[in-house]
Amino acid sequence: MKKKLQTEDLAGLAEKLIVQARSAGADEAQVTIGDGMEFSVDVRLGRVENLVEAGSRHMGLKIIKDLKTAYASSSDFSEHTLQHLVRNAVKRAVLGSRDECAGLPPRAAEKPDIASLALFDPRVRELNAPDKIRLALETERIALEDKRITNSHGASFVTNEVTTILANSKGFAGSYDQTFCSLSVGLQAGGTDDKVEDYWFSAERFFKDLKTPEEVARRAVQRTVRQLNPRKIKTQSVPVVFEPAMTAWLLGFLFACVSGMAIYRKVSFLAGRLGERIGNDLVTVVDDGLKPGRLGTRPFDSEGVPCRKTTVMEKGKLLTYLCNTYAGRKLNLRTTGNADGAGIGPNNFYLAPGTASPEEIISSLGQGLILVRTIGHGLNPVTGDISRGAFGLWVENGEIAYPVSEVTIAGNLEKILSQVETVGNDLEFRTAVCGPTLKVEELTVAGS
Amino acid sequence: MIAFENHFDLSRGELRKILDAALSRGGDFAEIYLEYRVYSFVNMEEDIIKETAESVSLGLGVRVLSGDMTGYGYTNDLSPEKTGKAALSAAAIASAPAGNRTFKFKVARPGKNVYSAAHPLHTTRLKTKIGLVKDAYLACQKTSPAIKKVKVLFQDQVQYVTIINSEGLVARDARPQAKLACSAVAEKARRKEIGYSGGGGRVGLEYFRRILTPGQVGREAAEEALKLLEAVEAPAGEMPVVLAPGHSGVLVHEAVGHLLEADFNRKKTSIFWDKMNKKVGAPTVTIYDDPTIPSFRGSYNIDDEGTVPQKTLLIDRGVVCSYLQDRLSARLMNLPLTGHGRRQDYTCVPIPRMSTTYIESGGDDPGDILRSVRRGLYAERFEGGQVEDSGKFTFTISSGYLVEDGRLTAPVKQATLIGSNIDILQKIDMVGHDLAFGLQTGTCGKEGQDIPVGDGCPTLKVSLMTVGGRS
Repeated sequence: MKKKLQTEDLAGLAEKLIVQARSAGADEAQVTIGDGMEFSVDVRLGRVENLVEAGSRHMGLKIIKDLKTAYASSSDFSEHTLQHLVRNAVKRAVLGSRDECAGLPPRAAEKPDIASLALFDPRVRELNAPDKIRLALETERIALEDKRITNSHGASFVTNEVTTILANSKGFAGSYDQTFCSLSVGLQAGGTDDKVEDYWFSAERFFKDLKTPEEVARRAVQRTVRQLNPRKIKTQSVPVVFEPAMTAWLLGFLFACVSGMAIYRKVSFLAGRLGERIGNDLVTVVDDGLKPGRLGTRPFDSEGVPCRKTTVMEKGKLLTYLCNTYAGRKLNLRTTGNADGAGIGPNNFYLAPGTASPEEIISSLGQGLILVRTIGHGLNPVTGDISRGAFGLWVENGEIAYPVSEVTIAGNLEKILSQVETVGNDLEFRTAVCGPTLKVEELTVAGS
Repeated sequence: MIAFENHFDLSRGELRKILDAALSRGGDFAEIYLEYRVYSFVNMEEDIIKETAESVSLGLGVRVLSGDMTGYGYTNDLSPEKTGKAALSAAAIASAPAGNRTFKFKVARPGKNVYSAAHPLHTTRLKTKIGLVKDAYLACQKTSPAIKKVKVLFQDQVQYVTIINSEGLVARDARPQAKLACSAVAEKARRKEIGYSGGGGRVGLEYFRRILTPGQVGREAAEEALKLLEAVEAPAGEMPVVLAPGHSGVLVHEAVGHLLEADFNRKKTSIFWDKMNKKVGAPTVTIYDDPTIPSFRGSYNIDDEGTVPQKTLLIDRGVVCSYLQDRLSARLMNLPLTGHGRRQDYTCVPIPRMSTTYIESGGDDPGDILRSVRRGLYAERFEGGQVEDSGKFTFTISSGYLVEDGRLTAPVKQATLIGSNIDILQKIDMVGHDLAFGLQTGTCGKEGQDIPVGDGCPTLKVSLMTVGGRS
């Protein structure tokens, strides 16, 4: 009940700021308020290392005057500061330039059914600190039982509860509550001079969906020890299998290249290529903001536009870009409900699964590399070029032969998507951007 | 104009109350971190000033240490109710009766002022900042008709911090920070490339008038993009690598700096934890981290725990000599503070971080270094890098050149280089006498906290390194 009152207070504040902005001279105004609670515990070697518990608020304002846009934000909710920011935003807007595409979206007709999206788990709020600490301790303890594990980066349990409030001068007013929880552990194996490391995590909105300490610990151990005694391989071009976390990484790069912002700025190799075949038949990519209970799900985006399901690429053909209102106007497309802050972000953005099991894919590999981790930078949306440090498993005769480290992979996203050989059936929505196991014909692996 | 400096309107009595609450369960040490930050942003693209933004961030963090454990709470509501709650959240880490403690507050005398903002940007008119952005934009655009898209952004902020702890320390700082950055897309015969440039630091308006003009930033970004239009694929495989002075400092940051941060060594997760006073690199390699270089982006008068920082010798002629310390690790390792406890903002606990990390000049002539390579790569501009505690690190060049018979030949495109840190330190066989520092635009991420940093190095040769090109 207390929480409800606070939400109403903050919704009232949002409305008040819109009125103030309008009377200061803004043609249009939009206010977002985030009100969050965070709990996190890090444990290491059986002891609590860090314990954080806090609440914080944040306000974001967008105003448009004469088709000129200005933003302001604050974590200081004093009336004095907020009034100053509102007035100053209108003054600053005047110094900007007219932009025919500026402005808020028209008010949507439909009201989202927030309850059906399963964003909030009361259990997450009810968990007490000792229980949360115990989950982290338990996860690390199980991991350390394996004698091959020589050191720990520690285990963490995190919960978040966030209320999002959005209102604008076109009459939109909405709010939703959401919860998150995650359990993770990072490990090292090997001696000081031949260390290998990895981690694993489970992140969910609902506590009941979270993987158990046992499952998280076992995966982290398995991922770490499989890298022991790595070899460096010769520079060559080979078929590569992407583990699901690596497909997710590739999809993250694809998202950056289909984001309407990158398209209208012409800093994506996919600009001007709607309707073209970018990938082969096996590549279908979807953005879906309405999958119940998933991490990337939300009723409406940061402009109040209802989220939806958008097929971005179907059997390799590029169908649409992902847009907010502004990018949509620039590109003569519609917003896809992907506004995120002042930019564009993914909802649940994923590569649709195929039918092969990961085991089948690996045994079909013959000779090649399973990509398990990458580090570094090296993604260029303008060209689609990829170049990263890589860790993997070398496969011979369809079986894992030995781990590989200190190599790099180099390729091009368009070429990768057109050379997909198999898509796995193991899609899990572990992260908002995700995908199943993927096999591609060829990448350059640079080694010795 | 808001008198931002006065936003921590807490009396000594109120501060004492917060510290008392923080230590009410018997912690060893309590600290209040107060932050007020005012940020401004201008963005130009498609020939118009697309948007401006202004942001205010206010918050208070309370930290309690109890042995090797940390409790933390924060709030952006400075009411006694909320600050008291933050203190009790932090206090929960300890579980003993409250000690009987009294605090004698002593305001720390400021040391050397490393900021140089004669004309502070947070009081500069928006019109003037827009002028800087337009100058960079136009300079970039008119470099060549092949430049098809330009984006320029200008950011400036001032961050007021006050740190008060249960040892009685009261330390204050007002840190300016500015950045002008330009990206340019060049197009020729359906090929497209992007170039970047930028600069800034703990500076005022005068810096962009006299030291690094917007015109220079715009032209550099354009020239980088134009050069890449002619670039060939980088080679793949092991080869000698010559690092250009300045920007190549990212190698030091990744290969050495991170792994000498004290927390990783206290926890023995860093490959360096058992190598203090041991030789890990070639005798030509001497590395410092210096938070006191005037006006640099990574510099500060006090760190985020109120410690006056020191130029810290990390590697002396190949031998490990110091870690980068914060209070917690220094106390647990029984080593002196170095002033490297930094945090992103009031929502974060301080952890050991770098400031400006660099390799000291050596004795070699840069021309001789190049002439010593028959076939290799000259790494010139960088996108960034990453390291893990095992010492495996990468850095990605955004452009460079092929080296053939001791001369630079074709420009090459983006490629990632990978190595193992101690192996690479031992393979640095030539060090130039031309130390320079990289673009003052760098940001380093660790445990989810982003902070401004810088790096530097002279011309260097690594005798053998894996280059991840495609040809």
